[in-house]
Order: sequence, then C-alpha cells, then structure tokens
Amino acid sequence: MVKKWRQQVRNWLTNQLELPADLVMDLPRITMIGHIHIYIENHRGLLTFSDKELRLLLKQGQLLVRGEQFVIKTILPEEILLEGKINHVIYLEE
Amino acid sequence: MKNKWLNFFYGSVKLKVQGRGVERFINACLRNGIYIWSVRKQSENTATFFILLKDVPRMRTVVRKSECKIFFIGRSGFPFLVKRTIKNSGFVIGLLLFFTVVFLLSNMVWDMRVQGAKPETEYRILKELKQMGVERGAFQFLLAPPETIQQKLTERIETITWVGVELKGTTFYFQVVEKKKPKEPEKIPVRHLVAKKKAVITNMFVEEGQPLVSVHDYVTKGQVLVSGIIGTEGKTKLVPARGKIFGETWYKSSVVLPLNAVFHVFTGKYIEKDYITGKFFSIPVKGFKNPQFKHYKIEKQKKAFRFWRWELPIFYERVIYRETEEVKRTYSWNEAFQKAKEIARNELKTKLEEDASIKGEKVLHAVRENGKVKVEIHYQVIENIAIPQPIVQGD
Repeated sequence: MVKKWRQQVRNWLTNQLELPADLVMDLPRITMIGHIHIYIENHRGLLTFSDKELRLLLKQGQLLVRGEQFVIKTILPEEILLEGKINHVIYLEE
Repeated sequence: MKNKWLNFFYGSVKLKVQGRGVERFINACLRNGIYIWSVRKQSENTATFFILLKDVPRMRTVVRKSECKIFFIGRSGFPFLVKRTIKNSGFVIGLLLFFTVVFLLSNMVWDMRVQGAKPETEYRILKELKQMGVERGAFQFLLAPPETIQQKLTERIETITWVGVELKGTTFYFQVVEKKKPKEPEKIPVRHLVAKKKAVITNMFVEEGQPLVSVHDYVTKGQVLVSGIIGTEGKTKLVPARGKIFGETWYKSSVVLPLNAVFHVFTGKYIEKDYITGKFFSIPVKGFKNPQFKHYKIEKQKKAFRFWRWELPIFYERVIYRETEEVKRTYSWNEAFQKAKEIARNELKTKLEEDASIKGEKVLHAVRENGKVKVEIHYQVIENIAIPQPIVQGD
C-alpha cells in the first residue's frame, strides 16, 4: 500500500517538475544504436546470458533482450553494453 | 566506459569460467569491483571474458565462494610484453651489440694507402703514422685532423716534398710527392737571353750562344745579352742560348717599425677538453677541469661520428685552450734601427734568387715619427739578370 503510494508521488513529481524519469524512479535508461548495440544503465545484475539471450534484473521486473551473436562488451555494476544482432527487447513485469 | 588504452598498460588476462551459475559469478565479480569486458558465452556452462591483471588476486576470493572453476587462457598487454622481451633478451642484446659494433667499426681506421712513394719512404711514412697513432684499428675521432697529419709528415720526413692526406670512409689515402734528383736537361727551344732589369754587368758565363755585351756594360731591361743566332753572316744557325750573366742591380726598400709593440705569445701550456656534442647537447668525456689561464685562445676540432656510410649529426669535439701571454717589446732607437735593417735585408733575400748576393747597402734616411722608426735603404745586389726569350721563327 505504502509502496504504491510512493510510486504515485514519484510519478507526479516527474510530471510536475520535469525531472528525468530514470533518476527519480530508478528506471533503466536504454540506448540502442541500430540493432547492433544496446546500452543499459541502472540494471541490478545479470540473470542469464547466452549468445542468443540476455536477461537483466531491474528494480522492478526484468529486461529480456533476444538476438544473435551476443557479446557483453563491458559490464559494470549498473551499466552494460551488449553487442550483437538484437531482435527483441522485452519487459517482463513481475 | 574505461579507457581501453590504459588496459594495455595494466595488462589483461583472458579467463574461461566453467561451472553452474556463470551469470552469478559475473555478478559477484561486479560487486567486488572487478572490471570485466568482452564476455562471450561458449556453451551453457562456460563463458570467456577479460579482466585486468591487477584484479587477478581479488578474483581468487570470488572463485572460492562460487561453484565455478576458472582457467587462464590468454594474456596480453605491456607487462607480458616486458616479460617476453626479457625472456627473449638475447635477441635485443644481439641487436644492440650489432649496432654498437657497426658504429665502432665505422669510426675506425681500416686501411692506409700510400701512393706515389718508394718502398722505403712508404715504410718510413707508416712508421711515423704509427707514432702519431694513425694505425689500423685507431678511432678516427681521436686522431688529429688530416691537415695536422699532413704538416707533421712533411716536417718529419725530409725525402718527401708534399703529401696529400685524405680520409675517405675508413681509409686514409696518402698521395706522396718525393723529392727527385735533377732530371736530364730538357730540350730547350731556341732562344736569346735578355736582361731582366737595368744593371751593370759584372760577370758572364756563357755556355752557348753569341754574347752581345761585355763586363762593365750598362744594360737596360729587355736588352739582348746573349743571342741565340750564331755563325757568320749568311751562315747563321739558331741555338738555345744558355748561361748566366751577373749584373749589379739596385733595390730600394723601406721598413717601418714601431718602437713599442704588444704581442700575444703562446706559452706552450694547454688544456684539452673532449666532448661528444649534438645539436642540443654536449657531454664532456675527457678533461673536466676549467682552464686556469688568464689569457687563452680556444681551438676547436670537430669530427662527425659515422655509422656505416653516413655521418651522424653527433660530433666528437676537442676544445684546446692554449695559454697566451702578453709580451711588450720596447726598442731603443739604436736597436730599432738595427732591427729595421735586418728586416729589410731578410725581406730582400726572400725576393732574390739563391745565387744572388748583396754587395752593399746604404741607408738613405732614417726618421723617427709617431713612435715608429722609418728606414729607407738602398741595396746593391749582384744577381743573374739573364732571362730567356724564345726566338720566334716567322712564317
């Protein structure tokens, strides 16, 4: 109940004060360059990784990236740069 | 993102991780602050990635807590390069040694070729050179410049008139001109002998030709002394006139000599300092003392180092500080007068030929003005006044 209420406050704040959503709401910021690079900030850890699939833990839910020939170019505690041929980016809500 | 170039200097290793939960292992690495890149999944249970060399010790604790095994499968970067270079240092040392040897050999004297000398003269030259340090295997930059060698050789060996010294690459070439015995008289073309200048004839030695003057005659310049045409009228014959006609000639010379003069004279003391110099540097190699001389003159000898055929822009420079001394010379009137006469006489002698003699001298006038002595002297000289004049056979 409290969690939901807090979420609403944050939502309202971002709308009213025009703050960037990824900062206020701890959402991932995803940058894609064509279908060859994907750069994800604000993730919470690696769940599965293979050359066809990447599953990342987020603050809320998970992010699933599907494609071919995946290579993690760089990985840092909150950032990841993935290279390969990206076909799908899917949000999985809990 | 971190700089990949820096990773090269730190050195990096490629790892293979095998076991259950490779992803968990990677997460654990990240939490421990280990930087990871180029992660590739080989199969369900194996992945390869790179980490920095300095993170390897931290990696061990992570591995112990996980269910994975790690294998080091590659290494790259500067630390490994250094290691490999040390392992292969023989090669590097060999390379350096090679360049050093070529450098040293390029700066040596390898051959001395003497041209135009008789064997005994050649032997003497080589012996003198050895004394001067010029021999096979000597370093070129330590030797005196060719001009000095040339001068010393001509001084020390009396049988040579002139020697040309040239350094070409690593070989010294000596072009020798030996003193020769007088040659057979060449065939002289037919000629007269005429007077060089006006004179009164004192003596005549005619070897060939018809003398046209006699002793005590006064002759003018260009007058025919000995004719090359002999024989009676109608049956004349042309010959090259030969002989010596001595006549009394007159010279006037004047000498100006200051009574007080200051000279800078070398005392003979000197200090040598050797440097290896380039465009922007100068490294002393020999003689670190500074000259203690009050007055000195600096002499510089510069020689380029060579490599193979090329001259390097690096020089071996020898700086010689020669001590000088100020010498004041003061003449009294009498001394100055005598000295002036002596100078005038010597000056005249250098102008005259060897068989000439000074018969008499007369001081025309001697004055003293502005601290100088001015002497004018008249000389009577007996000398050979005959010079050849070819007979031009017309038509």
